[in-house]
Amino acid sequence: MKAYDVIIVGGGHNGLACAAYLARAGRKVLVLERRERVGGAAWSEEVFPGFRFSVFSYVVSLLRPEIIRELELPRHGLQILPLESTVTPLANGDYLAQWSDHDQNRRELARHSPRDAEAYDEFGLLLHRMARAVKPLLSTAPPNPTSLDPRELFDLLRLGRYFRRLPEKDLNALWKLLTMSAADYLDEWFESEALKGTKSASGIIGTLLGPRSPGTAYVLLHHYMGELDGVFRAWGFAKGGNGSVSAAIAAAAQSHGADIRTQASVSKILVSGERAIGVVLDGGEELRAPIVVSGADPRRTFLGLVGEAHLPNDFVAAIQRYKFRGSSGKVNLALSELPRFTCMPEPGPHLRGAISISPSVDYLERAYDDAKYGEISRRPYMDIVIPSMLDPSMAPPGKHVMSIFVQYAPYHVNGGWSDAKREQFGDTVVNTLAEYAPNLKGAILHRQVITPADIERIVGLSEGNIFQGELTLQQMFFLRPAPAWSRYRTPIHGLYQCGSGTHPGGGVMGASGRNAAMAILGVRA
Amino acid sequence: MTDAIVIGSGPDELAAAHQLLRAGRSVIVVQEHAPQTHTDGWVPRAISMPGVVVEQLDPWLRAVLPGGGTLELWQDVRRSADAIRRLSPRDADKWPDFCDRMARLAALLEELYLAPPPSLVDLRFALKIRRLGRIGMEDLMRVLPMPVAELLDDCFESDALKGALGALAVRDLQQGPRSAGTAFRLLHFHVGNPPGVFRPPRSNYVQLARSGLDIREGCVRRINVRAGEATGVTLDSGELGARFVISGADPKRTLVDLVEPGWLDPDLARAVRHIRSRGVTAHLDLELERTPEWKTLTLAPSLDYVERAYDDAKYRRISAQPCIDAVADGARVHARVQYVPHGGQGEISAKPLERYMPAITRMTVRMAGGWPEGQPHHAELSLDQALWMRPLPELSDYRTPIKGLWLCGPAMHPGAGVAGASGYNCAKALLRDL
Repeated sequence: MKAYDVIIVGGGHNGLACAAYLARAGRKVLVLERRERVGGAAWSEEVFPGFRFSVFSYVVSLLRPEIIRELELPRHGLQILPLESTVTPLANGDYLAQWSDHDQNRRELARHSPRDAEAYDEFGLLLHRMARAVKPLLSTAPPNPTSLDPRELFDLLRLGRYFRRLPEKDLNALWKLLTMSAADYLDEWFESEALKGTKSASGIIGTLLGPRSPGTAYVLLHHYMGELDGVFRAWGFAKGGNGSVSAAIAAAAQSHGADIRTQASVSKILVSGERAIGVVLDGGEELRAPIVVSGADPRRTFLGLVGEAHLPNDFVAAIQRYKFRGSSGKVNLALSELPRFTCMPEPGPHLRGAISISPSVDYLERAYDDAKYGEISRRPYMDIVIPSMLDPSMAPPGKHVMSIFVQYAPYHVNGGWSDAKREQFGDTVVNTLAEYAPNLKGAILHRQVITPADIERIVGLSEGNIFQGELTLQQMFFLRPAPAWSRYRTPIHGLYQCGSGTHPGGGVMGASGRNAAMAILGVRA
Repeated sequence: MTDAIVIGSGPDELAAAHQLLRAGRSVIVVQEHAPQTHTDGWVPRAISMPGVVVEQLDPWLRAVLPGGGTLELWQDVRRSADAIRRLSPRDADKWPDFCDRMARLAALLEELYLAPPPSLVDLRFALKIRRLGRIGMEDLMRVLPMPVAELLDDCFESDALKGALGALAVRDLQQGPRSAGTAFRLLHFHVGNPPGVFRPPRSNYVQLARSGLDIREGCVRRINVRAGEATGVTLDSGELGARFVISGADPKRTLVDLVEPGWLDPDLARAVRHIRSRGVTAHLDLELERTPEWKTLTLAPSLDYVERAYDDAKYRRISAQPCIDAVADGARVHARVQYVPHGGQGEISAKPLERYMPAITRMTVRMAGGWPEGQPHHAELSLDQALWMRPLPELSDYRTPIKGLWLCGPAMHPGAGVAGASGYNCAKALLRDL
């Protein structure tokens, strides 16, 4: 049997990225994937005959440009189609559109509020600057500010020097973003409800917090991080669905010699004397390697695969209190015709971008109110894209696929998730959307509804949290997933983590996988 | 000419006046409102004076249980644990550890509260943090940005206990216990208290601190500025000149209302207007037929109850089921009712309390002090308006862009709950400048 240097548990995009970097550095790597195909939540499938869906994650927003470059992903089949606009339909039949064309965008904003149109550029510049300031953090193993480890101290000083070079004004602005609510932050800039609603929506994704809760402003930055390297590369669809991202990374890994085994479900990580020595598969097969990397979330990795007995008590406690609280679901529709939105009935460029059901901050907050007490939002926030508009291969000619990201659908729903509850959730989504696009119901050929419980069951993400744990301030940076264990290492020698449950967290970013590989190779990223 | 005029006669203003007096400066205090009868909050040793008595109720909390009866929390941690045991033995076992942990974390904050706020880029601050020890600092950084509900849910199972503590953490704040950053407030109001006591104490500091000061009644109409320098104040009754003006008034009022427009940079003026200061508390002064059986009574039976009360406030409604915290002084009861948003729709009533006390013979309603929306802390005490951000980074060192005009009061670091500290810090900074 072939001897491996590294075994990677889980073939999600982070596990694959980690494998690709390790293989590129000459390590013999084996990736073990439980399902029949790699990709984790970045997965496309022909769910209904002729209709392909990015079943879970559906846009490429934050994939690190250095990963695209270093792993030569375009050569391995990655092609990103730009997503250029966001349209927010309003209840009164009007809409608010954000276009990628600056002048068009400004005219549109001015139609709603001349003041907002004025403020928009300045706001964009500030956030752009903030995103730039934060960007180096994404590819760093976060040092613990209280650590005495010389390597961490070195990183800390490096980071300190970096931040001291930033103007104090910018640092304070960053602090504000970290600690404020999206609603309060946007109130300082804008007056148009639709604009504030749509912008604040990006702050709540993946968390069980409302736009009025502090800590939601930070995620506004993510949008601008995506734009940093140019609209074309950063925000868009992968041609063929989001599974193509995983497929391209997998191909890159294999081209460097990594082995990928699917339908190989790891039941246990073998630990001997505080050292990881390999894994056991469901069938009882043992595989050995001096280094094991887990792409599963912290709860599954430590409480499931490793087991509490091998871990220090305070670490177990930290992992136990790490919050998942999945709050989002997905509805995928196969359509016989394009939706006709009351606000823009004719097919047009708006259907090539995102459509956001977020008419106001209060709308989102009310959606959250339901979820906070364990109910599905009666009128949920939705982010809708129609990938077949950009990539006709996703659906049969003349037909379309529609992907609807929905929030809130709390994992801990009252009464628990059942088939009936899932259908109720699907109905809520379709009914709400039909208020804005009346022909929708008649156009639905097939419907796939995915609840957080389904995400957990199918992809293995605990509580269906799409980021492998909430991206809240107390679970970020050197606290992710547990204080002192944020640098991809674990209390078990030779066991590393590379999933979104580590810094910098979720979104199909790939940064965790890359950073983990750098930590294993002992390279400073 | 007087050296300094201090606007306001609250604990912060008086503490500032005493510091200046002690340094041999002449001070006039302009009292705009009737003096407070007592001071809320811990009195740090540096500010305290002979005769100051800090009072804490015992039990300091008496929470109404939905099924009847009450939960009492005492100054004695063990006694509280025994009371909690009736609701949950598990929580009772955890209570002493929780109290210790909170006390340790609050002690870390205390270090930061008796000095001007640290700067984010100050290396000395970074070193100081590191000296505080690894476990404590990690815990503090994790706890500060948390929702208080999450902190409490991690530790306890009893709704009554969590509800009452959660309500204390969101006191006077337009946020609910499930909002991030509210755990910070539980700690903030714990600073200076003995372990296991989370209600700010009361003291007679204000009455005592009045002695020895030149206090004049009047309402400030304008802070006079000449050539970018404060020269005194204009009162209803005429002008008073001074080298310095220390304002304990709300920074918005001080800088936007009292200073003639034009002296402030437009960016700063905009930021000042954006200081969040929404008021959410109504105060009821009740007179009862006879003395109630309790000294204090809290109505906040669960975190969900408090959160639902907040839900109303989000949409500018007065809570249909408000959180109430009442303190009795003989047959007179002072009740704080939250949430009553500024200009909110609905009715403020003492009804939820009626079951628990003798009949009301008289009731007056007043909104919490604070300009203009009734926020007694002048700037909401939340993480983005705390420490070096309080009330704005540009103003956090008690100076203003107008030479000779200084700020103190609850809007300034460390904020409400620490009697006199912002005045003390402000006066120290001013004296160092001379």
